[in-house]
Amino acid sequence: MTTVRTDDVVDTDRGFFVYGVVDSATGRVPDGLTGVEDTPVSVVARGPVAAVVGEIDLDRTTGRRADLVAYSTVLDRLASAGAVAPVQFGSVMVDEESIVEELLAPNEQYFAQLLADLAGRAQFNLRVGFHEPVVLAEVVAADPEIRRLHEYTRDLPEDAAYADRVRLGELVARAMEDKRELEVEALLDSILPLTVAYSLRSGAGIEHVLDVALLVDDDRRPEFEEHLEGLAEAVHERLRLRLVGPVAPYDFVGGEAWA
Amino acid sequence: MSVQQSSRRQGGGYLERPAPSGLADVIEIILDKGIVIDAYVRVSLVGIEILTIDARIVIASVDTYLRFAEATNRLDLVEHGGGKPLDEFIGSMQESGATKKVGGAVKGAKKALSPGSSDDDEGRRPARKSSSRRRSEEQ
Repeated sequence: MTTVRTDDVVDTDRGFFVYGVVDSATGRVPDGLTGVEDTPVSVVARGPVAAVVGEIDLDRTTGRRADLVAYSTVLDRLASAGAVAPVQFGSVMVDEESIVEELLAPNEQYFAQLLADLAGRAQFNLRVGFHEPVVLAEVVAADPEIRRLHEYTRDLPEDAAYADRVRLGELVARAMEDKRELEVEALLDSILPLTVAYSLRSGAGIEHVLDVALLVDDDRRPEFEEHLEGLAEAVHERLRLRLVGPVAPYDFVGGEAWA
Repeated sequence: MSVQQSSRRQGGGYLERPAPSGLADVIEIILDKGIVIDAYVRVSLVGIEILTIDARIVIASVDTYLRFAEATNRLDLVEHGGGKPLDEFIGSMQESGATKKVGGAVKGAKKALSPGSSDDDEGRRPARKSSSRRRSEEQ
């Protein structure tokens, strides 16, 4: 049970939870904003970029649920006030000096460019799922082997014909995966023209058709939302669309250039 | 502009626009996202392994196949009028789907958030170079 620290750091019980990075000149923390441990949120600036931080106790072990919610609340409040680049949850640094010297100074150019790219834009998360009763019926109707297994197993008790049930499920899963690939292409073709960038998330797969983060220009947001509303209506018999956002641009702060 | 107000707004009805509220929603959004600070310049919090919920990863497995087989066969009961009412059926489908997804998300978050379980080596060497750092070096 130790708090891991760097070797050259003075021993202290307090540290700084780092929420994100903002522009020094334009980034503002909303009045009275508090974060993890209900401590005030403040900025540590260095040149054109600033870290948004809050003091916390380094020896704490509890309150994780509240911490996650506090973290996302702070970032969404910041995002609604201007460009912010979220820092991964749980990042804590020991003092203001290390924030300036180790985080801000070495990455100044990168953060400045990132914030410029994020300015006037917001992230939305779109998740698309099959309306299963309809799509399963399509699958059964289209494949004779699936139909045969379905007709054979459907009236048997649940613990009977185990191998046939597994085989049926496997064939259905494959058929839905084939459908998924077709749907994803059509969905992205329809949506991406209204976005600046996109990032596929890990939630997609066998249970979801598509799980994607979208970066949208603020001035195109009404058009974007209206388009998705229309799309959701057009495909609603087979697909269900769920849009969350705007949220802070968690998926657009690292890796490859996108702007 | 207000994030909260926008996310609560309801549109024409077909596009679901939930306001993220619960822990599962938050985990789903933040997951392992964000700028990664090198392990050797940051502090690791005690007990950052947040949750030990029974985590099921959504992959192609026998369980998944059996779920599809069951869903396929229950579908037929509904069509023949011998099973549950349709909306009850859909409700149970959504419930089971949500449970699986949350399990997967929690697993992902736990993996991303636990320094001790990665190759972090107690945080004394960088477990993962931050993308920001990588970018700086390229410039």
